[in-house]
Amino acid sequence: METAHKRPNYILIWIYLAVLTAAELALAFELPIKPSTKLALLLFLAIWKALLVGLYFMHLKFEKWNLRMLAIIPIPLALILLFAGMSEHIW
Amino acid sequence: MSQAMAGAMQPPFPAERGIEVYNKKLGMWIFLASEVMFFAALIGSYVILRFGAAGVWAKPGIVLSIQITAFNTFLLICSSVSMVKAYAAIQDGFQDKMKFWLLMTILGGATFVGIQVFEYIHLVEHGFTPAGVREGSHLAELVANGTLPAATMGLYGSTFFTMTGFHGFHVTCGVISMLYLYLFKALPGKYSPQDFSGIEVVGLYWHFVDLVWIILFTIVYLV
Amino acid sequence: MTTVAATAHAAHAQHDDRSFIQKYIFSTDHKIIGIQFLFLTLFFLAIGGLLAMQIRWQLAYPGTPMPGGRFLPETMAPGGVLLPEYYLQLVTMHGTFMIFFAIMLLLVGVYANFLIPLKIGAHDMAFPRINMASFWSAFVSGIIMLASMFVPEGAARAGWTMYVPLSARHDYSGAEFGQEMWSLSIIFFGLSSILGSLNYITTVINNRCAGMTWFRLPLSVWALFITAILGLLAVPVLAGAAIMLLFEQILGTHFFDPSAGGQPILWQHLFWFFGHPEVYILILPAMGIVSELIANGSRKPIFGYHSMVFAICGIAFLGWIVWGHHMFVSGMNPTLGSSFMVSTLLIAVPSAIKVFNWMGTMWRGNLRFHVPMLHAVAFVAMFTIGGLSGIFMAATPVDMFIHDTYFIVAHIHYVLFGGSLFAIFGGIVFWFPKMFGRMMNEGWGKVHFWLTFIFYNATFFPMHIIGMAGHMRRLYDPTIYDFLKPMQPMNVFISISAFLLYGTQIIFFLNFWWSLFKGKKAPQNPWSDNGLEWTTPSPAPHGNWETLPTVYRGPYEFSVPGASEDFIPQNKKLPTDRDPVMAPAASH
Repeated sequence: METAHKRPNYILIWIYLAVLTAAELALAFELPIKPSTKLALLLFLAIWKALLVGLYFMHLKFEKWNLRMLAIIPIPLALILLFAGMSEHIW
Repeated sequence: MSQAMAGAMQPPFPAERGIEVYNKKLGMWIFLASEVMFFAALIGSYVILRFGAAGVWAKPGIVLSIQITAFNTFLLICSSVSMVKAYAAIQDGFQDKMKFWLLMTILGGATFVGIQVFEYIHLVEHGFTPAGVREGSHLAELVANGTLPAATMGLYGSTFFTMTGFHGFHVTCGVISMLYLYLFKALPGKYSPQDFSGIEVVGLYWHFVDLVWIILFTIVYLV
Repeated sequence: MTTVAATAHAAHAQHDDRSFIQKYIFSTDHKIIGIQFLFLTLFFLAIGGLLAMQIRWQLAYPGTPMPGGRFLPETMAPGGVLLPEYYLQLVTMHGTFMIFFAIMLLLVGVYANFLIPLKIGAHDMAFPRINMASFWSAFVSGIIMLASMFVPEGAARAGWTMYVPLSARHDYSGAEFGQEMWSLSIIFFGLSSILGSLNYITTVINNRCAGMTWFRLPLSVWALFITAILGLLAVPVLAGAAIMLLFEQILGTHFFDPSAGGQPILWQHLFWFFGHPEVYILILPAMGIVSELIANGSRKPIFGYHSMVFAICGIAFLGWIVWGHHMFVSGMNPTLGSSFMVSTLLIAVPSAIKVFNWMGTMWRGNLRFHVPMLHAVAFVAMFTIGGLSGIFMAATPVDMFIHDTYFIVAHIHYVLFGGSLFAIFGGIVFWFPKMFGRMMNEGWGKVHFWLTFIFYNATFFPMHIIGMAGHMRRLYDPTIYDFLKPMQPMNVFISISAFLLYGTQIIFFLNFWWSLFKGKKAPQNPWSDNGLEWTTPSPAPHGNWETLPTVYRGPYEFSVPGASEDFIPQNKKLPTDRDPVMAPAASH
């Protein structure tokens, strides 16, 4: 059950998403930055967009903590798999 | 679109004991958890393969068209907005607005798939396949003159088509589901502010599909 | 089936105007779906056993014509002598059928479906039609897998673990369609499993009846719930990996192809990331069933109910970070390997807690050794042996020697047969009356149990010994190695025991089928048990209850001092009980 809350301004979120996408495109092509920094920034922007969709469009911000837990649980598992696979090439 | 205080934010149907989220919505969230793991396997493999590849990876924009895909990304985001507006509309009881926004979502999703199919055909014609670069194709020339790295094109093709292909498959399933709901539930007026679970649940799926694309677009096309 | 239909029909209360097809073929009733899974899985159990018999023939008498071998095609067994290619298919398909289609579907498809709504006080699952879809996609998956044995070139043969590149390249394995059908079958199986999991999880969270709080849930429901979570999150990774394998096979992708930059070890990481939670999927429901059977047979509450729940959660939690112990000799990152050793040794602790708690339950109990209790006690002993051999494997330096030997095969079969399968047999006998309205024959049940127990130990215990001596697994002909020649008499002993073991199962199958039609009519609560399922008629009718029960106590109130009987059902209201305080209930 969602807690009583003000409905988010969906159009505003849409503008944020558009701006972030434009920022990503600019970053990917125009700005002369070191590749590793570029990667980190692009990932940061992508995760920010994903959080906007998840928290506001999917209403996770307004759901109870147990539903949020349910949504979050797969993420550490995915990271464990990723880390293990990548560790074959780290050292 | 109303900024009204949402006592209307309360779920319109009786909450069940347990997690106090009705069955269909809980079921959809649980299903999405499994989808996260599915895409984690595919996307994780891409990251592991690219990270561990001995050679360099192709630079962004050479094989894949960033312009078309950026438009497609924007389109999918817009369809996510139209989806949530359909949800808000039926919450407030506006049947016609809900039907309109749902139709916009369906059209947006269908266009996304159409553009992706067009992209795939274009790529295969130029020699980019799941098995890598086809001999004698236009892209093979780029490999020959060093613009594209021969060592990793096989992996590039394999991971690109698998990830975007399955994402596209999920979008297609979403479009078909929304079309079904539109034709058999929304149009005949079966939704009301007291019961619009189908809209909410398919909306969750649709936003998830958009979310996966946001990640994919960045790490496949831009990096 | 008709007598089952008759007894089920007789027990029906009110208006049930579904057609025969709706009632028994495309049924959405969780009990019918559970029974459908039961028939499907018992069939695959028999198939898997038949494949094992052929494996044992080859190991005991390599190069000699097998009885019945003349029915096999010349390309597989010319003159009845099994070829290596066929032998590898046997070991692959034995593992595949037994793990996926027998044990997993028996524990989850049968018991989760049948028991969960009954034990939590619900009319049915949260999503009955998705439940039906789950059964039929498992059915399709099974047909594809079975059909793969009959295509030209034969079935998949890279081991049930399908390591690449052997599984990905048909110029290496010699089987094109067989391997591809394996991948396709697993994809359908994954779909079935995920649909099932989401149903079980939603149902347990949301559809519990009044008063059924989390810590009043029977341990079988806890186990099935946690298992469903494991399946929900692990099976999609298998599905993803199987898709990548299928694409490698048919589209020429390069995920696992080292010549194009791919990584064979990626398959192992993906597969075992699924594979380890999978083995907990294969044991946790069995542990849950054993808790029910032991509490019932001891007429005592489960010792340490809360720690049993936390142990299940602990096993499930730790199970995500131990998968590398299947890969100690793969050449993976050694530091990663060490961390897997630590976590694997740790995971023995919650399992041990459960074993001690079962023993604590039996201690000074009013023991009744009915057939289900015999199976449950055997589970505890055999699972302990399997768990102890697991400690050897957890230690990486030891595993270097015993990996891919028969020591591993012994471990697998002690936990899966001595563990899961005994629990399954016990569960079938225990819940048979609720499923079919009749009792299985007790005398023949005991004969079956004892013969199975003896022949099973005679088959699998010696495998520890030959494994320690270096006898490899998936080996076509042990006699070509001088160092294995002294082991050959033991191979013969194992095979003869295995043949007797398989033959003994005929007793079970005959008992099962005979009892379906001629078994003693069962009362409502033949085992004097506390679970909510025993408050319905035998067999349980469509919808389970007209009015859902209310629960006043936990599930193991046996031998309560001062009570009139030695058990108090969960829904029985005593004068001292208060009504539960309810959140607004959902109309169904």
